[in-house]
Amino acid sequence: MKPYKGLICIALPLVLSVSLAPAARADGETVAVFTKNQTNPFFQTVRVGADLAAKNLNAKTLHYIPTKPDSIPEQLSQVEDVVVKKPDAIVFTPVDYKALVPGIEKINDAKIPAVNVTDRSAGGKFIAFVGADDYNLGLETGRYLLKTLGGKGSVVIIEGVKGSLTSVDRVRGFNDAIKENPGVKLLASQPGNYQRLQALQVMENLMQSNSQIDGVLAANDAMAVGAIEALDGANRKAQVIGINGTKEAVDAVKSGKLLATGDYNGFAQGCLATMIAIRTLRHQPVVSEIVLKPTIITKDNYQPFDVALEARICPTWDEAAKFATK
Amino acid sequence: MRESAAASPLRRIPGVAVMLALLVGIFGTIAPGFLSPANISNVLLQSTILTMLALPMTLIIMTEGLDLSMGAVVTLTSLAVAIVSLATGSMLLGLAAAIVVGTAFGALNGWLVAIAGIPPFVATLGTLGMAQGLCLIVSDGQSVVGIPRAVRDIYSATLAGLPVPVVVALIAYAAFHVLLYHTRFGTYIFALGGNREALRYAGLSPAKWLIGVYTIGGLMAGIAGLLMTARMNAGHPTAGLGLEFDAIAAVAVGGTSFERGNGWLFGTVLGVIAVGVLRNGLNLLALPSSLQVASVGFLVIVALFLDGLRSRS
Amino acid sequence: MTDMTKPVVAPPGSLVSGDLMQLLYRLSAALLICIILSLLNDSFLSLGNILNVLRQASLLFFIASGLTLVVLTAGLDLSVGANVALSACLAGTVIQHTGSPLLGILTGLLAGGIVGLLNGVMVTALRIPSFIATYGMLWVLNGLTYWYMAGETIHGFPPGFRQIGSGYLLGLPIPVYLLLIFLAIGTAFAQRTIWGQEIYAVGANPVAARLSGIPVSRRLLLVYCVSGTMAGLASIIFLARLNSAEADIGESLTLPAIAAVLIGGTSLFGGVGTVFGTFIGALILTLVLNGMNLLSVNANWQPFITGVIVIVAVWLDMTTRRHKL
Repeated sequence: MKPYKGLICIALPLVLSVSLAPAARADGETVAVFTKNQTNPFFQTVRVGADLAAKNLNAKTLHYIPTKPDSIPEQLSQVEDVVVKKPDAIVFTPVDYKALVPGIEKINDAKIPAVNVTDRSAGGKFIAFVGADDYNLGLETGRYLLKTLGGKGSVVIIEGVKGSLTSVDRVRGFNDAIKENPGVKLLASQPGNYQRLQALQVMENLMQSNSQIDGVLAANDAMAVGAIEALDGANRKAQVIGINGTKEAVDAVKSGKLLATGDYNGFAQGCLATMIAIRTLRHQPVVSEIVLKPTIITKDNYQPFDVALEARICPTWDEAAKFATK
Repeated sequence: MRESAAASPLRRIPGVAVMLALLVGIFGTIAPGFLSPANISNVLLQSTILTMLALPMTLIIMTEGLDLSMGAVVTLTSLAVAIVSLATGSMLLGLAAAIVVGTAFGALNGWLVAIAGIPPFVATLGTLGMAQGLCLIVSDGQSVVGIPRAVRDIYSATLAGLPVPVVVALIAYAAFHVLLYHTRFGTYIFALGGNREALRYAGLSPAKWLIGVYTIGGLMAGIAGLLMTARMNAGHPTAGLGLEFDAIAAVAVGGTSFERGNGWLFGTVLGVIAVGVLRNGLNLLALPSSLQVASVGFLVIVALFLDGLRSRS
Repeated sequence: MTDMTKPVVAPPGSLVSGDLMQLLYRLSAALLICIILSLLNDSFLSLGNILNVLRQASLLFFIASGLTLVVLTAGLDLSVGANVALSACLAGTVIQHTGSPLLGILTGLLAGGIVGLLNGVMVTALRIPSFIATYGMLWVLNGLTYWYMAGETIHGFPPGFRQIGSGYLLGLPIPVYLLLIFLAIGTAFAQRTIWGQEIYAVGANPVAARLSGIPVSRRLLLVYCVSGTMAGLASIIFLARLNSAEADIGESLTLPAIAAVLIGGTSLFGGVGTVFGTFIGALILTLVLNGMNLLSVNANWQPFITGVIVIVAVWLDMTTRRHKL
């Protein structure tokens, strides 16, 4: 009996420790996720997606957000601090797609694998880019509005933050959609800074100088809703489109106040970028670019998008691989 | 607080030094990598631009003034470096342009305050708007990239083992120390804050010195603009906005009083580093960003509260 | 320079006091701007535009009016913008959960007032300079708001509530009525109550004020409370107007409010200024912005022009005062 007892004494703790220890493959990796600010709900969806993807894969996320929204020097400092900390991987949205290049080069020098999400950086090496096609989103959403107007009428554009890549591309898409419809007149194109209040006041002022506005192309949902508030306040009607696919916009589409919103799926972007980062660490196959196809959320198809953020699930890798554009 | 002021030894330990020591102690213990040479170097490097602004701000505050335009001006000078060096291919011309622009705004501030008699808060609030507008106008809201490599290299180059920006900040500190404590100009600065009437009775016009102090601020903003562009390898129309408040907070945390013409240059540097250490430590601990935001506020309030206690007891 | 900030007392025999002259100068400046704009653009004088301007000015005025009292005591409140944001988010939550606009309004006012009280405590009991105390509070409030909102927005309020911000009564926007009410209350308080007079005295000469028996600390607490509560009120109007609460609505509110107070003739050194002046200051700022929008001035030029206006307005104020002495 004694030898068996001895064996159990050795075997039991061994078995216990093995079963309690994390699985043999590399788990518990740390992914540092950089987003632009704490106030824009879009980036919250990116963070939630990243967190969920990491949880599903037994990894963890750390979030780095500048204390001053969209602060370039702060994000650069956070990059420098993070390089000291050496996370296993980084998922990165540059506050400015040009000015953060030196920061990305620091990450490259430290040999930390990085995935670029949402705003395509103008430099630096990344494993992959995950984002949406802002230009085509603008184009398709613009086309939808102009089609609803029957190809004629007067419209205004409310731009986003001047100089931000998303705004530049989306507005370009709007303009090209307008060019395709010779019967449509562009009355004005003013910046709303992606802010609701500013878009509201811009819209109020535009309504003063233009007695007839048939359509409003807003570069994001917050501004679209601001424009709608302005229209309501003046008892005027116009077709309004936005981009982002936020919950508020989907609600507005449901109730008929907003014509459509371009789906800018931050949740999916966060999921996919984090999945690529973790898979790279685990030496699993990845793709080098995912650009989500433009989807327009309208009164006819809003149901799948009308899901609370907490209840959403990340795409599986096989589904994700299908989105790959490179 | 002139360095020779006599007081009980305990009271001589400034609030900011205590806070800095506490922060370093806490983060050194619980934040991994905080005390590593790489991290210390980072914190110092990250503090250089703010130091370049906080040093002249100390002098300005000592004259019972304020310069709210510094953040916008440094953004503008940073754009000047980018645009001019891009156009001419020369980093030095870029630096020259930055110094010209910065000094011009500084002189404008000085003139508005000293000659036109406009309260500094208002004058510099106005020039803030002007500088901010110029940033947008010259850049059309876009980053300016493609600048010569020489600019970028300034940020990463080293001199005698120290990063160039840190060397620049050290030289600036030394220069300001001499200026404030060992020149007539410095004496007048103290007088402008504590005893302006005495200057007038002595037949000296405060105008010259006031203009000087704001112009120096603009000059420093010019040099800081070069460092900023070097760091980003770009000029950006909004990169430095809001830095003036950070500078003012650093000066206040460092012990310079708004009212009594007290000035402590080294305290300002400690104030800048304290805020930098706080942010760095919180980043290393990966604490939620909202907590970081609130912590900055608490740091400033507690530092000033401690100082208030000291001066009252 | 200190001489020019003392309240100008009417020399015996003169028709109007200096302060009234300053207000008249300002009013004519505002009228001048209106005339210029109406010549430059047809839609300026349209009823719709004028009502818009008044409504936009009223939003600015609510924040700036409380701030005026603080500046009268030679203080500053940099936290008003962040206060508006936090109060709006809290009030918005209450309205959504209870369905009662009244509870929401009370929450907003209470939250704003508590923030103001804390500011006042820091300035009086903790002896922290108001610039730094309210600057620190700004950061703390932002941190709280970001944490509380967690990147989300609150949207969708009952239509009855939204009337406060976007509704009309007898052709005038409702915020304008509130503007007139608070203008009257503010002016009466500052000019006609003892508390108001004491606030002016505290600003002009705190030492003399204390020596003459004025409870300086209590008056200071009062002005910061009022500033905070007015920020709370402003948050309700914003909530009603925008039909949503977001963490960053306060970012761009503080500096324009301070500018309105300064353009309105209130001196940073304390003791000089009026609530009506602040109203004109808010009006002037709004007119300039409105004009730039109507004339489609490139958005890049707007901060530049606003900066120049601030300097010119205050400079004119100082020259006319100098002239009076």
